[in-house]
Amino acid sequence: MRGLFRWSGKWWPGVIPLIVLWGFAAWTSTVPLENDLAGRSSAALKGAVLDKTSIAVDGRDVSLRADAFSEAGRRDAVSAVDAVAGVRLVNDQTRLVPEAKPFVWSAERDVVRVTLAGSAPLPALKGRLMEATRAALPGVEVADQMGLARGAPPRFEDAALLLIGQIGKLKDGRFTISDGDVTLTGMARELGGREALAAALGKLPDGFKVANNEVKAPPYIFQAYKDPVAVTVTLAGNVPDENIHAVVVGSSSRKFFNEKVVDNLKNSVGAPTNFVNAVVPALGALSRLSTGTLVVSDRDIKISGDALYDAAAAQIRTGLAKEVPQGWQVKAEITVKPAAAPVDPTVCQQLFTNVLGKAKIRFETGRSDLDRDSTGLLDRMVEIAFRCPAANVEIIGHTDGEGDAAANQVLSQKRAQAVVDYLTRAGLPADRFSAIGYGSTQPVASNDTGDGRAQNRRIEFVVR
Amino acid sequence: MAYLVAFHWGWLAGAFAIGLAMGWVAVVHRAPGVSGWLTWLLAALAAGLVAATAACIVPGRAGYWLELLLILFVPYLLGCAIGTWLRALVVTRSMRQRSAA
Repeated sequence: MRGLFRWSGKWWPGVIPLIVLWGFAAWTSTVPLENDLAGRSSAALKGAVLDKTSIAVDGRDVSLRADAFSEAGRRDAVSAVDAVAGVRLVNDQTRLVPEAKPFVWSAERDVVRVTLAGSAPLPALKGRLMEATRAALPGVEVADQMGLARGAPPRFEDAALLLIGQIGKLKDGRFTISDGDVTLTGMARELGGREALAAALGKLPDGFKVANNEVKAPPYIFQAYKDPVAVTVTLAGNVPDENIHAVVVGSSSRKFFNEKVVDNLKNSVGAPTNFVNAVVPALGALSRLSTGTLVVSDRDIKISGDALYDAAAAQIRTGLAKEVPQGWQVKAEITVKPAAAPVDPTVCQQLFTNVLGKAKIRFETGRSDLDRDSTGLLDRMVEIAFRCPAANVEIIGHTDGEGDAAANQVLSQKRAQAVVDYLTRAGLPADRFSAIGYGSTQPVASNDTGDGRAQNRRIEFVVR
Repeated sequence: MAYLVAFHWGWLAGAFAIGLAMGWVAVVHRAPGVSGWLTWLLAALAAGLVAATAACIVPGRAGYWLELLLILFVPYLLGCAIGTWLRALVVTRSMRQRSAA
């Protein structure tokens, strides 16, 4: 052993080739070693939930730069790299993903694409949101502008997926989640889209609420066109439901006594409030025109056409605006039809009888107030009365046999007078018309049947 | 350490071979030995380097190269020892034979 120690003093010349060997080893092995460590460090981090991971190896020291989504996740990542065989030191440059306050996420739809932006809480969720968007809108480009941030409200994923499921209802616009508040803006694809969205968003998870729904729907259009040549009234566009559909068509049939009602309406949700209360008076105004068009777009009513005489035009212009509910706008472009040529009193009588053969002047039950549905008919009578300026006309009221005879006589008189008043308001001289009430004394049909009684309740125009 | 051995076994074997050769030659070599105080100096230097490596004071590639140097010295010294021992054995035997003759 002493010899070994003695001889070890002569081992130093071997150090020279050893140093050369070391030089070669260092020269050739450094980069492969670093690559090997980098590869195995990345493999160790495969399961970790991290963002912006970058691994730099210098010798056997690994610099780990990454954004983690929780403190535990951050520590786990560092220890996973530290446990890789061959790694000497881990230079920990990890940090937590910044916390977003408020946590904002949005999905925006425009003509060509859907853009998801804002913050997502986890990379995997980001992927799921993208996938859900592609599934919801096949064939539409989906752009990802989402960053990652901590601080998402609980059940964020459910809320975001619910919104993505609804994005097909938008033509363009944006859904935004800001903490628990959901804001909707844009234009719905279809009528009623806004309401459908509001209904779907009723299922938002707890903690989320719709703060603002500013989604607009395409205009809700209703149209009616009175064609004097075809003798039709064509109804087109939308009505809210089957009941209102029936009300509109029924009301049109009564108002347009002479024309055939062509019903091209379809039922769609999304009507403005008070739709029927605005459309029925507007149809009443249209029934007073000889030819005309009515267009209701959302809450704007536009009526144009020819009134039968001057006073009617003035009444429509000012009256319709008062009849429609508050918040509705009326634009009336009414001209007056040129007066027809005067005719003999006998022709006048014939014209009166013709018109009254098609429809009857109606009153409110048991009262002498003219039914609004008869305004169109009365305007026809006025137009005819203007054509025979020389004729004196008796307006005769009849009732059915129900009730007290004296009361019936008074009622028939009052009803006849109501018609005379209407004619006078239309600009006809009052002295040409006299109101007579015969009560139930001159029935034209049996008072035993409902049908007969209806025939007996009538107003007659008799030219003297 | 196991990783370094596994990764550099070829270089380590080379160092061992150099050591073996050096050890074999050292017994009959006429070069001057390292003086006593220099031995202590070198031992202190080696201890210092080992301590620095153990404490991971030298960073990055330089640290790795230092580790590599130290780890190459282990088989080298081992090779020297074995080589010297074997040569000493051979020399002793031949000297006995000669003196017997």
